[in-house]
Amino acid sequence: MFAFTKDWGGARSHAGAAPSVVVATAGGASVALDRVSLMVRVPSGDVEILREASLDAAAGEFLCLLGPSGSGKSTVLNLVAGLAKPTAGRVLKGDAEVTGPGPDRAVVFQEAALFPWLDLRANVEFPLKLQGLERAARAARSEELLRLVHLWRFADRYPHELSGGMRQRGAIARALATDPAVLLMDEPFAALDAQTREILQGEVERIWSSTRKTIVFVTHNVREAVRLADRVVLMGTRPGRILHQEIIDLPRPRAANDPRVAALANGIARRIASEVEKVAREEADDAWVAPGGRSGGDPRRHLGGGI
Amino acid sequence: MVAILVVIWAAASEIADTPLAPGPGAVSRALWTGVRDGTLPRAVLTTAVRLCVGYGLALLVGVPMGIALARARIVKDTIGPIVLGLSSVPSICWLPLAILWFGLSEGAIQLVVVLGAALPIAVATENSVRHVPPPIERAARTMGARGARLMLTVTLPAALPGILGGAKLGWTFALRSLMAGELLFVSGGLGQLLETGRDLGDTALVLAVVVVIVTLGRASEVLLFSRADRAIARRWGVESP
Repeated sequence: MFAFTKDWGGARSHAGAAPSVVVATAGGASVALDRVSLMVRVPSGDVEILREASLDAAAGEFLCLLGPSGSGKSTVLNLVAGLAKPTAGRVLKGDAEVTGPGPDRAVVFQEAALFPWLDLRANVEFPLKLQGLERAARAARSEELLRLVHLWRFADRYPHELSGGMRQRGAIARALATDPAVLLMDEPFAALDAQTREILQGEVERIWSSTRKTIVFVTHNVREAVRLADRVVLMGTRPGRILHQEIIDLPRPRAANDPRVAALANGIARRIASEVEKVAREEADDAWVAPGGRSGGDPRRHLGGGI
Repeated sequence: MVAILVVIWAAASEIADTPLAPGPGAVSRALWTGVRDGTLPRAVLTTAVRLCVGYGLALLVGVPMGIALARARIVKDTIGPIVLGLSSVPSICWLPLAILWFGLSEGAIQLVVVLGAALPIAVATENSVRHVPPPIERAARTMGARGARLMLTVTLPAALPGILGGAKLGWTFALRSLMAGELLFVSGGLGQLLETGRDLGDTALVLAVVVVIVTLGRASEVLLFSRADRAIARRWGVESP
């Protein structure tokens, strides 16, 4: 658990530095889920992905969704993004119901979302082109954003020429291009090595402080959630639902190796452990379940429940 | 390397000493004669025009068909198995039917070329559109792209390496189908010139035409696809298949 006692240089210096580039921004908007449920039809029947989840993020809040695989945390993100539609309940951005994807809610995916046939600059300009922005304005905006994520020098490179961390910074720049009110991040650093991840966490915190976007950040890394979030939302599985919320009231910027982050993370990790054990039990064969009697949460037991 | 092969060829034909195995000298003379009397350039032109027309039609049919197969469930369920089944039939098998439909005309031979090339293009397009990484399209949708614009500015570019691979395959299929068609069907072109060589027992002419076909095939591939290949390699960091 305490593997990160070494200070990886960049993480602290980035987090400590004042934002060197100021980007024009309209700030964040609130986001809410109002008793949202989602059922998905698969060949073997209906599966309940999310049950009666209610959640809200204030404008400018940094919210982290934390939970094991199958807890529906990415689903929550997709619902807010408009990439998925709820079976029941409402998804709101500000006062308006979300009816589909839109440039006011940008998404940063885990990986492979930069367009390989476009160089970095063209990637960042792509959403601006869709909005019909003229060439000069596009160029100015992409320079501003690539400087913000320290990639201006690499503007002419294609994604395959960049490291994983650089690609994710590029994806963040592209997501910010249309000045979205909400930034949705779906395990954006899960495929990166530990050092790079910590540096990028510092960058996200810095960008968030300078733009005041509402950020909903999905992760299964407890320490990452605690380091970044104003509030951590813990989600459980089968069906996906919200188990617990915790306000992280630590001063910012936070260092990756802050002992207070580690202490809070340990508390949350214990809570998760019991939930993960439940999943392990369900995914193992029956012999493994035997000592405890029947399994805790057969998905079929919940079929149609709570709707 | 080529020079060594030519020397071996010359030596072998000297030893064999039969009109059935002409040496490089005889073949060059046949080439020169063909060029001088105009039969070879005319045949090359006829073949090249047919190839370009047929291949162009095959692209126009194959790429949209591949997109439809990848994206429209109903198309996949109805014509999907047919396309897969037909793509394993050598397209020259359609020539008798094509002749019954179109008579001894350009239409008949073009049908064979288009069928030969369009099916591999459609199959490759379907595969590469289907395998565009989902985050790429999802990211584009969150930026507000959808419908035809999403297809043209995101999905097709993302699928381009695979589509280009299919286009290359389609080109060689088109050339093969056309040669087979011209051999069977008196209509000018290099295939017919091959057949003329056989009728006259002119082995040198037959070999000369084969040399021209090889050159045409290689040259067209380099002209058409090498630039595209380089662009793909530069952007994706990989070769197209």
